[in-house]
Amino acid sequence: MSVKVYLVDDHRLFLSGVKAELAEEFRIVGSAYDVDTAIVEIRGFDPDVVLVDVHMPDGGGVAVIEGVVATNPDVKFLALSVSDQAEDVIAMIRAGARGYVTKTIEPPDLADAVRRINVGDAVFSPRLAGFVLDAFAGAIPSDDDPELDQLTSREKDVLRLIARGYAYKQVARKLNISIKTVETHVSSVLRKLQLSNRHELARWASKRRIV
Amino acid sequence: MIGAGQGHHSHVLGNRPFQFKRRETDRIVAGVAGGLADSLRVADAYVRAAFLTLLSIWGIGGVLYMAFWLIAFDTVEDEEVEPVTSSQALGLAAAFGGVLFLLGAFGWWPNPVFVLTAAALSFGTAALTDSSRPAPLAGLFDPNVEKPSRTRILVGVVLLIGGLSILNIRVGGLFEFSTVFLAVGLTGLGVAVAFGPWVRRLLGDLATERNERIRQEERAEVAAHLHDSVLQTLALIQRSDDSTRMAMLARKQETELRDWLYGSVPLDGIDLVSTALKSAASRVEEDHQIPVDVVTVGDRPVDEQSKALVGAASEAMVNAAKHSGADRMSLFFEADEAEMSVFVTDQGRGFDSSAVEDDRKGIANSIRKRVEKAGGTVEIDSEPGEGTEVVLRMPVEIS
Repeated sequence: MSVKVYLVDDHRLFLSGVKAELAEEFRIVGSAYDVDTAIVEIRGFDPDVVLVDVHMPDGGGVAVIEGVVATNPDVKFLALSVSDQAEDVIAMIRAGARGYVTKTIEPPDLADAVRRINVGDAVFSPRLAGFVLDAFAGAIPSDDDPELDQLTSREKDVLRLIARGYAYKQVARKLNISIKTVETHVSSVLRKLQLSNRHELARWASKRRIV
Repeated sequence: MIGAGQGHHSHVLGNRPFQFKRRETDRIVAGVAGGLADSLRVADAYVRAAFLTLLSIWGIGGVLYMAFWLIAFDTVEDEEVEPVTSSQALGLAAAFGGVLFLLGAFGWWPNPVFVLTAAALSFGTAALTDSSRPAPLAGLFDPNVEKPSRTRILVGVVLLIGGLSILNIRVGGLFEFSTVFLAVGLTGLGVAVAFGPWVRRLLGDLATERNERIRQEERAEVAAHLHDSVLQTLALIQRSDDSTRMAMLARKQETELRDWLYGSVPLDGIDLVSTALKSAASRVEEDHQIPVDVVTVGDRPVDEQSKALVGAASEAMVNAAKHSGADRMSLFFEADEAEMSVFVTDQGRGFDSSAVEDDRKGIANSIRKRVEKAGGTVEIDSEPGEGTEVVLRMPVEIS
């Protein structure tokens, strides 16, 4: 059975382009141009993977994720955006997206990302890896759960390689570990990003907006 | 809002629940009296008069005004309200009078003459200016009047003289606090009545004009920028037949526009290494038609050392663009307290580092010289068919 994919983007031209690219390999069950339609249809279709734009009227991608996560907890979200703004990207991840890629991504890479998201892996673009390294660089661990607020040096190594444009396979070879281990590290970083001290991350994001 | 269907347990004045909101329009201070008037469904002039009368009793009116201001969060557009019936109005008046005399009975009036004078003056003015019905002085508080009218100046002057004369009449209580208070209050009211609406209108005009000018300046700036950048590029793209060139133009424009929209503005005119690297990368993109994905973590101000680093990184990028055969490359920059590092990575054909032709060796040497002279190190990591990575590291001098 092929993977059921749903697309949400208020930019119609882009949406039809992505649809055409992905239609060969995946079953596109539907698409929406706005947040409200997307929430209703995703609840109904219960797709495996949703590609969702970050910037849309009425709350954007975050609103879509938040509107669906309670009713369909198994739907996995991949955030797509032209935005380089760290706070947007981080907000999507914290809402529950399992990955973020920019809209300039090459079609084969996008297909690969969908596949990866579908099996439960996390997808980090080089830019997202850079944001995460930046966000955790000066993080002071909080008292409740210091582990969550810091990255291990291995996780940092993995992120640095991703930021340098390495694919997971190349990261694995470079560090002499298996691809599975790379995936584990990235998933663990994703979890930390979603669960760690909100205060620190929020402050980091707002600082970036000013500087 | 008219709360239909909630009438049974609601206010005695009708089937409209008592909702207190400050007025947004048609107000004098903060719209409290106006809002209260709307809630009670009486003409606002009388509510204002009541506040003024209470003001003469140790400033209770002012305290009450503040209290209502505090509890009313929302402001509301002026709305049409159906006035109370005359018997209800009489009831309200009697209730207010009762409260006023009760305060007197407790001996809380500062002086009966002041209170009664204040009451007579405020309610007299209210009756004259009640805008809900044809009145001789209706429109006294209407700001849409060009300049102070004769009647307004007259009323203002009368109040002013009244305020000043109280000071003179009460010889015994000349320096009594309440006397001064009432006198100042009446004088202020006189000035406010005479010139208030006019000054308010003038201030409102100034603010509107200023906002409009700011908006227009912003629009002009955006238009100018879009014209110089996006429109030019779109024209170029339409004239171009070469799809690679089109893609590069689009990409360059994207980077530029994005920088303009979300870009980091150097603080206090200090140039940042990340900005310098980004512009070096976009120069390579432009000159060699190859996309460079730039990711930066942390930052440093540009100094002699980082200039060497940026120069060497440019050279490495140009080298990769010319020789790697890859269709894109990555530039990664990271800065922490101890060092700055730059990685220029491509997935191209690579080379055997031990047996390179002279041209490439020359470039490698040149990169090395630059960085090492500034105190840094260079590693070049490449295998045939495995791509190339140039790693530049520069310790940060602790100043």
